[in-house]
Amino acid sequence: MNSLETILRQLRRAAARARAASYAVHGLVAAGAWIAAVLVIARLVPFERRAEVAAIGVPVAAALVVLAWSLRRPSAPLLMALADIRLGLKERLSTAWERRAEAGPMDGALRQDALRHAAGASLVRAFPVRVNRGEASLVAVLTIFALGLALLPNPMDRVLAQRQADRASQARAAKVVTDAQKKVAASDKPNPQVEKILQDTQAKIREAASPRKALESITPAEQQLQRLTDPGTPALNSSAQNLANALSGTAAGRGAAQAISSSPAKGAQAVRDLASQLQTLSPKDREELAKALAKASQQAQNAPMRDSLSKAASSLQSGDTSAAAQSLNDVASQLDSLQAQQNTDQAVASAINGLEAARQELAAQADRDATGQGAQANAGTSASPGASPGAGASGNGNGSTGTGTGTGTGIGTGTGTGTGNGGTGGNGGTGGNGGNGSGTGSGSGAQSTERVYVPGQPVPGQSQNDPTPLGPGQDVPTSPYSQVIQAYQQAALDATDQSLIPGSERDLVRQYFSQLGEQSAAGPK
Amino acid sequence: MIAEEPRVDAAKVTELAKDLETELARLIVGQQALVRDTVIALIAGGHVLLEGVPGLGKTVLVRSLGHALSMSFSRIQFTPDLMPADIVGTNVIGDEAGRREFHYQPGPIFANLVLADEINRATPKTQSALLEAMQERTVTVGTQTRPLPSPFFVLATQNPIELEGTYPLPEAQLDRFFFKVLVPFPGEKDLLEIARRTTGESTPQLRAVADGDAILAAQRVAREVPIAEHVLLYAARLIGATHPDRTELDGVRRYVRWGASPRGLQTLVLAAKVRALLEGRYNVAFDDLSAVAQPALRHRIFLQFEAEADGISADRLITDILEHTVKESARA
Repeated sequence: MNSLETILRQLRRAAARARAASYAVHGLVAAGAWIAAVLVIARLVPFERRAEVAAIGVPVAAALVVLAWSLRRPSAPLLMALADIRLGLKERLSTAWERRAEAGPMDGALRQDALRHAAGASLVRAFPVRVNRGEASLVAVLTIFALGLALLPNPMDRVLAQRQADRASQARAAKVVTDAQKKVAASDKPNPQVEKILQDTQAKIREAASPRKALESITPAEQQLQRLTDPGTPALNSSAQNLANALSGTAAGRGAAQAISSSPAKGAQAVRDLASQLQTLSPKDREELAKALAKASQQAQNAPMRDSLSKAASSLQSGDTSAAAQSLNDVASQLDSLQAQQNTDQAVASAINGLEAARQELAAQADRDATGQGAQANAGTSASPGASPGAGASGNGNGSTGTGTGTGTGIGTGTGTGTGNGGTGGNGGTGGNGGNGSGTGSGSGAQSTERVYVPGQPVPGQSQNDPTPLGPGQDVPTSPYSQVIQAYQQAALDATDQSLIPGSERDLVRQYFSQLGEQSAAGPK
Repeated sequence: MIAEEPRVDAAKVTELAKDLETELARLIVGQQALVRDTVIALIAGGHVLLEGVPGLGKTVLVRSLGHALSMSFSRIQFTPDLMPADIVGTNVIGDEAGRREFHYQPGPIFANLVLADEINRATPKTQSALLEAMQERTVTVGTQTRPLPSPFFVLATQNPIELEGTYPLPEAQLDRFFFKVLVPFPGEKDLLEIARRTTGESTPQLRAVADGDAILAAQRVAREVPIAEHVLLYAARLIGATHPDRTELDGVRRYVRWGASPRGLQTLVLAAKVRALLEGRYNVAFDDLSAVAQPALRHRIFLQFEAEADGISADRLITDILEHTVKESARA
């Protein structure tokens, strides 16, 4: 006959088994409910790591179940009492266990009676391994439900894909800006201010919540960059070119003319050399040089340059070579400053090119987001290839020779190539945009969000025949206004058709482009 | 391995009860529950109020019990003109060694088994004469208190349908009864057997199967039966559930004026102990409490008038209480 302790051990084992089964089902219910809840939530809100979060519910539920199972073990009196009830032992075991240390008149008989009846009963039957039918049904329902949720298409997948595409697009745009920054840093004359602006902009692009938000950081950056440029540079550049043209017809100044045409810095050195050689020049050369300088002075659009050239010319004519040399040195200084400004402008232009490439990338993605195609493949309209050619579009036509070629990505015009012949000083490098020149170009049509830069009004003193000055961001080919307006009108109208834009707003867009078209017919200004 | 021998011979009690029930069954047809409850009360040392219509064998049962036990037996027929002295005895004048003096003449209460037949026909004054005897087991006449013989066992009967000219027992006296046992009308088979046994040439003669000492010993043994705490707690909850201010049962709240007294708990536990012994166990089970709850509590639950109007009996409320009172281990 077993002792009460033996009976208790048997009951404990049986209860542990029964409770383990019961708690396992509890755990399955909890895990199933968790997974179903996560999958339901993932259908209501974008939930990127839903699989991981859903899966983590399983070990957590298992751990909680094991913890509860181990902590909520029934006490010995309870086990005995339950066994009494379930085995019909009429409270024999529980009474005997409670009085196991007693030595009352009837306690011995009680223990014997309890042990005898316990021996005749199957103690394991007191705690059968039984699964609650309701819970089992619930597990089945939850499993089917979770499977259905997992297998059926999730509308939030598109949102998530769009988010990923947005992030990828922002990363690419930021990389384009970073590349532009590296390029500026790697140039002969690095510009820390430009680098700083690009650095800040790429950080903002990366951190922006969406491509549309990222786009908002580009325009301020461009404005900052443009503030670094000098509006007088085109006039000074024109004056320098005129000087080169004027000097090229003189024997003494031919070398300086070539140097100026080559670069303002070389020109400055050549002019200084010329100033130091004035005393050694023959009177004829001096007169010829004075005339050239006078002519250049008359054509100069930059006032300091004009004054210096005028003084140099008059001093030379009067035979005051030292004063003339001093004036030429002033001209050389202005050429130096032109060189410095051109360096800055190149850096700014390169930076703006990078920003514009980033803008294209972000705008394209934002447009896809707006039209519900944001989750589509990202490579389709990637503008990154355009950044490099755009930056390399340095085919500046020389007004004197009137020819130039340029290839690359125009700002906001997609990829394109352009060649042009400047008949009388046209600027072929900008895609045949010359006064009388003709140009041909081919490229992809502008996207709805792409920007097209067209030449603006000539700077004061500049004629239509003058070469188009290269302003910030304009060291790449641009397209004639009249050529792009039609494409842009069509693109804008297409965009309004695709987007959820009210009809009245579409009319506004149509009206806007109609007005632009009228202006185009009148000729770009 | 435990090899202890019980120091109290509980088996003898079981055997005694079985013999007694067997002997009574020779004369009493059917009515096993009635006999069982009566034997339980006898071994528990309590008094029994038998309630039933005339002719169901109440008096026969008590008389048979007297025959089956080698104990003195007296019967008191309660009538409206019955006086307390007719029960407890009185002082009478008599010659004692040539002198006339009062001496005590014991009444019929001085017996081991007393049958108080139709107890509700006596006046309250006379009924109250039984109070001291039943509770204290003594009788006071004049200034002298005399102990009653031991064991002392009162079996009272009352007729529930004849209410005219009756005096319902006061609550205090009802509470003195260990059990109130309802005597049911016998079934058809039992009726046939009654007819066969009682209309023949001879009626069975009962033999004595126990004496007073055996009954007293059984009473001592019964009190030694252990009861587990959670079983005791259940008994206390049953008693608490009879009180309208302590129960959650709507029926009890609505129909009960006053619930069972602590004496009801004593009765419940003691009766359960005896029943456990009679069932061959050495411990009290929930079933024991349930089995004795009706006779132990039905006369201790006092109902509102509304209950009578709605036909709600104490038995029905007790059944509800048994069904709804939670056993602590069953809750786990």
